[in-house]
Amino acid sequence: MQIISKDLTFAYNKKAEFNRQALNGVDLVIEEGDVFGIIGHTGSGKSTFIQHLNGLIKTQSGTLKVGSYDLSSGVKNKANVLKQLRSEVGMVFQYPEYQLFAETVYEDVAFGVRNFFPSYTSEQVDEAVQNALNQVGLDYNEIKNKSPFELSGGQKRRVAIAGVLVTKPKVLVLDEPVAGLDPQGKKQLMKLILNLKQNSVKTVVIVSHDLDEVTENCNKVAVFYNGKVVMCDTPKNIFNNVKELESYKLGLPITAKCTQELKKLGVEIDTNYKASDFVENIVRAYKNK
Amino acid sequence: MLADVTFGQYYEANSFVHKMDARVKLILLVLYIVLIFVVKNFYGFLVVLAFLFIATLFSKVPILELLKSIKGVVFIVILTFVLNIFFYRADDAKVIFWFITDKALIFSCFMALRIITLVLGSMLLNLTTTPVALTDGIESLLKPLKYIKFPVHELALVMSIALRFIPILMSEADRIIMAQKARGADFESGNIFKRAKAMIPILIPLLISAFRRAEELGDAMDSRCYSSSAVRTKYRVMRLGWRDLLGALFACVCFAGIIILNIYGGVVS
Repeated sequence: MQIISKDLTFAYNKKAEFNRQALNGVDLVIEEGDVFGIIGHTGSGKSTFIQHLNGLIKTQSGTLKVGSYDLSSGVKNKANVLKQLRSEVGMVFQYPEYQLFAETVYEDVAFGVRNFFPSYTSEQVDEAVQNALNQVGLDYNEIKNKSPFELSGGQKRRVAIAGVLVTKPKVLVLDEPVAGLDPQGKKQLMKLILNLKQNSVKTVVIVSHDLDEVTENCNKVAVFYNGKVVMCDTPKNIFNNVKELESYKLGLPITAKCTQELKKLGVEIDTNYKASDFVENIVRAYKNK
Repeated sequence: MLADVTFGQYYEANSFVHKMDARVKLILLVLYIVLIFVVKNFYGFLVVLAFLFIATLFSKVPILELLKSIKGVVFIVILTFVLNIFFYRADDAKVIFWFITDKALIFSCFMALRIITLVLGSMLLNLTTTPVALTDGIESLLKPLKYIKFPVHELALVMSIALRFIPILMSEADRIIMAQKARGADFESGNIFKRAKAMIPILIPLLISAFRRAEELGDAMDSRCYSSSAVRTKYRVMRLGWRDLLGALFACVCFAGIIILNIYGGVVS
């Protein structure tokens, strides 16, 4: 599913005096197959934008197309169309573990399937739940009857993500998926998310504050600033523009910082800022000296 | 979005009524409510309405904004009205239509008017006083109860914490609703039982988060050695001013007028 947004604007509390313009004309294209990173400082409109993608927020003005769904302003989508869209565009919110509610892990993960596909037999639900839990690296038999509230933080988050994956979405949107996890947990979860692309998920959209994570995993990055997309390019081209990034209140991933420092010492390397590529380039520069 | 709105109906304005002391406004509201139930005839109600109208003018709150508050009680007003028409009995009543008597009709109107003025008066207080000022005012008014060992300060603390947490929980609820909607939750269709059941995926996470926040707040207060019995000064000191005197005088004149009209103006109920 290709996602095209043109001149998308949105304001909270439009009628009230204290209205806040959250989106100021967002132009963005996310191609199928992308691992797309969205970065920007707090309040730049990232979260508001992604909530448009599955129709949780109604478009106020501008055009937005998600695959064959037209979510542009003025287009009226029926409830069942929106429901279908939501089963195809999975949305994992920040701290998704806070939305767990059921008595058992099984019931919580099954919530989505039961809502979206009421015609499923219990075997089909079983299969979907098993599949989703396997995809997030949890043992179905061991965990299905546990209460979600007795799990560890990392496990809870995986269960919550499984609850979204269970409908086999084609696009997966994640808001700060690894926030608040320990380094090991971060690494594992991120690996897991990228592995999802081997299954039904074709496109992954990640909203993040963690620039290292974005550089490492995304093939394309958009920078949000004051409700607009101000840069949209490969991580390499984005993080080459130090000055511009600073004006958008953003820093650099650690590899780009090191590259800058090396430059000051007279060592120029050409890297895409992924850790492995960065190290390779340093080694090459050292050997050539 | 439910969030980014300050809690309550507080209407930001710089007016005479806004600047009055919350305590004075609270006392006047109590008197006003008592009088609404004491009023016996429509002349008295004219004074009540005039009082309400003038108070609204001096509060700079748009009248429409105030009238919006009736929306919430329309059902109760209609119910009272209908029940009274059915069940009011008077000896010398004339039937004017089917079984409806003139007296019952007048009495029902009277009761409806009572509820409406009651709501409008209380709403005016809400619109012109911040929740913080209200709790401060209540605490201050309840102070004498300390002598019979009533935990006034604790009560005020509970009230202000509850008020403080309403917007937080509202934005939390908003987020949870969004998250469950993204998982296909449907809150709009089905009968009332189905809808009540659909609330479970919202209520449970919300309750859990409320407990978590309560615990965190408790720890934070403990770590700052909070003690409710400690003597502390106030950041906002409440002082009575000329506005309070003037406002109270005006209200007293109106209230006296109502009582006089009650005595000389005949009886409806």
